[in-house]
Amino acid sequence: MDTFVVSLLNGAVYGLLLFMVSAGLTLIFGMMGVLNFAHASFYMLGAYFAYALEGTLGFWGALVASPFLVMGFGVAVERYFLRRVHHHGHAHELLLTFGLAFICAELIKLFFGNYPVNYRIPQAIDFAAFTVGSVGYPAYRVFMGGVALAMFGLMYLLLARTRVGIVVRSAIYKPRMVEALGHNVPVVFMGVFGVGAGLAGLAGAVAGAFYTTNPNMALELGAMVFVVVVVGGLGSLEGAMLASLLIGVVTSLAVSIDLSLADLLAHVGARDWAEAVGGLFTLKVSSLAATLPFALMLLVLLVRPGGLLGEKP
Amino acid sequence: MDFIRTALGGAALCLFAGASAAAPVKIALIETLSGPQASAGLLYRAAVRYAVDGMNAEGGWNGEPVQLLEYDNQGGPTAAADKLKAAVAEGAQIVVQGASSAVGGQLTEDVRKHNIRNPGKEVVFINVGGEALELTGEKCHFHHFSFAGNAQVRTKALVNGMKSVQALGTRVYSMNQNYSWGQDMEKAISDQATNGGYQVVEKTLHDVNKIQDFAPYVAKISAAKADTVITGNWSNDLLLLMKATKAAGLKTRFGTMYLDQPGNLANGGDLALGHFVAQTFNVEAGGAQGERFAADFKAKTGQTPVAIQPQAVFGLWMVADALKRVKPEGGNLNVNAFARALESAKVRTPLGELGMRAADHQALLPIVVSTVAKDAKFKAEATDMGFKPVKVFGGEEAAAPAQSSCRMQRPA
Repeated sequence: MDTFVVSLLNGAVYGLLLFMVSAGLTLIFGMMGVLNFAHASFYMLGAYFAYALEGTLGFWGALVASPFLVMGFGVAVERYFLRRVHHHGHAHELLLTFGLAFICAELIKLFFGNYPVNYRIPQAIDFAAFTVGSVGYPAYRVFMGGVALAMFGLMYLLLARTRVGIVVRSAIYKPRMVEALGHNVPVVFMGVFGVGAGLAGLAGAVAGAFYTTNPNMALELGAMVFVVVVVGGLGSLEGAMLASLLIGVVTSLAVSIDLSLADLLAHVGARDWAEAVGGLFTLKVSSLAATLPFALMLLVLLVRPGGLLGEKP
Repeated sequence: MDFIRTALGGAALCLFAGASAAAPVKIALIETLSGPQASAGLLYRAAVRYAVDGMNAEGGWNGEPVQLLEYDNQGGPTAAADKLKAAVAEGAQIVVQGASSAVGGQLTEDVRKHNIRNPGKEVVFINVGGEALELTGEKCHFHHFSFAGNAQVRTKALVNGMKSVQALGTRVYSMNQNYSWGQDMEKAISDQATNGGYQVVEKTLHDVNKIQDFAPYVAKISAAKADTVITGNWSNDLLLLMKATKAAGLKTRFGTMYLDQPGNLANGGDLALGHFVAQTFNVEAGGAQGERFAADFKAKTGQTPVAIQPQAVFGLWMVADALKRVKPEGGNLNVNAFARALESAKVRTPLGELGMRAADHQALLPIVVSTVAKDAKFKAEATDMGFKPVKVFGGEEAAAPAQSSCRMQRPA
């Protein structure tokens, strides 16, 4: 029971972290119709900026400043790179972000080296918030979850309840009409891209200290973030939230399931046969945990190609 | 007109000069120099460059410097296979690789086939880091030499070393990555249970380099009430696992194979204290000789030797030792004669004698079991911690028996 509760909590917090990164990606996709391959790089930049600023601003100062730096970087990318190739179509934008992801990774290696850097949770908040059974639950995990939830709340209120939100949402669905009504759509695009990048940067600054800050962190999270966006429905913030939590919890719970197909077949008396065949039949669910999200994506694409909460295609 | 004639004459002269002079020995390093795993490949490159410079400082071979050709295999077997062809076309006779077992598996097979198809133009593969057991097992052949450790050797040393300081406990959790290396490790951990006097309470194989959040695995470790986790995990999979354990407040001890990789102590900080690692080298364990080696390496490459670098250097010292004992035939190196010489090569490393077992071409590496401590003589990576040797096992002592699956065909 304890294990179950801890697994559930772990999964939820990991899911919330995934949401922080994928929120920006799904918004940018909804707006520009382009999957931003460099999005996970913004996550990495967030962590490295926070690490670089930690010395001068302290941990908390860096945590606040880093997302704004990444936001500035995102704005510059949109204004000076993406906008130039926008009229060439989506393929060009896609390739541009793809190249950008490589350049970011190489630049990081150039400045910070090939190995993980010394970016850690400060001693002051490195304690257990509460204990479940015999295992302490780290306070920093609770903090990460809190940051993500607060961010979701703010984004939701901003998009659903304010005038700015109305303009953004309409610019996403009917950009030409909004432009005709006298709104500056390019500035809206730039703003959304910047905020999306900043959110990924915030996630990086928060998670980089808890996990590791290394030049491969964009690569490690990148694939999973795309899965979240596809499962949740491209362009849907609520969908991203739902998919993140689902993936986080499924991965976390799967780790504690030591069953294989052979155990399932035992109910029909075919265990010996299954074990003799081996291969897929004796593979434990727990060893597949990190692969399950991809299976989930496949399932969603087959059953609901638009994603869980996406529009019908 | 005169000019053209002179130029042609000059060119012809060069051609003849090229044909008559002895060919220098060319060593091809086919290593992961770009991409996400480049950090490992670059470590090997620095070590191999250092060792080849050392050979040339002692006069090279047959009066000519040994040439080092470098190729980037981009981290994968496919590119490695292409680069091997390129290297052979450029006249390389010795091929070196270390960063990846998968690439090593491809290279050793390709070298074997090349040698069958091209008798008289053999190539030898010097494996300085691929630790998969099959390389000296089913896939072993006369032209492959392993200077890397493997799961059996490292685990045996780790278990004996930890037991000698009563740090092992009786309940061991086996946590490994789900591919050939992790599976080798899992088997080795089970095999050592009687010797180490422990019970393997739980075994886990998990995806490689895909998991960000190890908390669910830590919950399993906690539920199994393990005293020690023995793991072959490397890089992020090791660091994240240890971080998650520390965050949950578990006091479980770790016995690792790769805690000495660069970045681990710097990033992990205090959480690494008290954990163990089975290493192929440790400066402090090497005494005065070890210090001299480390100082020389630092002077030449600008960094102290870390992780697998010393084993790569020692492997090439063995190559140098064998080269010294092979006489040129018509100015060229006879690779089969060289391979025979390498079978009996012996060098003195700071940790003791390094020899080669002829049965499966596995080097008999000395292994050091160390623990992370603040009173270690040499601190790692600008931290206040270092690797303090607990016990040193000589090559013969550390060795695991040759695998029965290795059936080596010797050239007549």
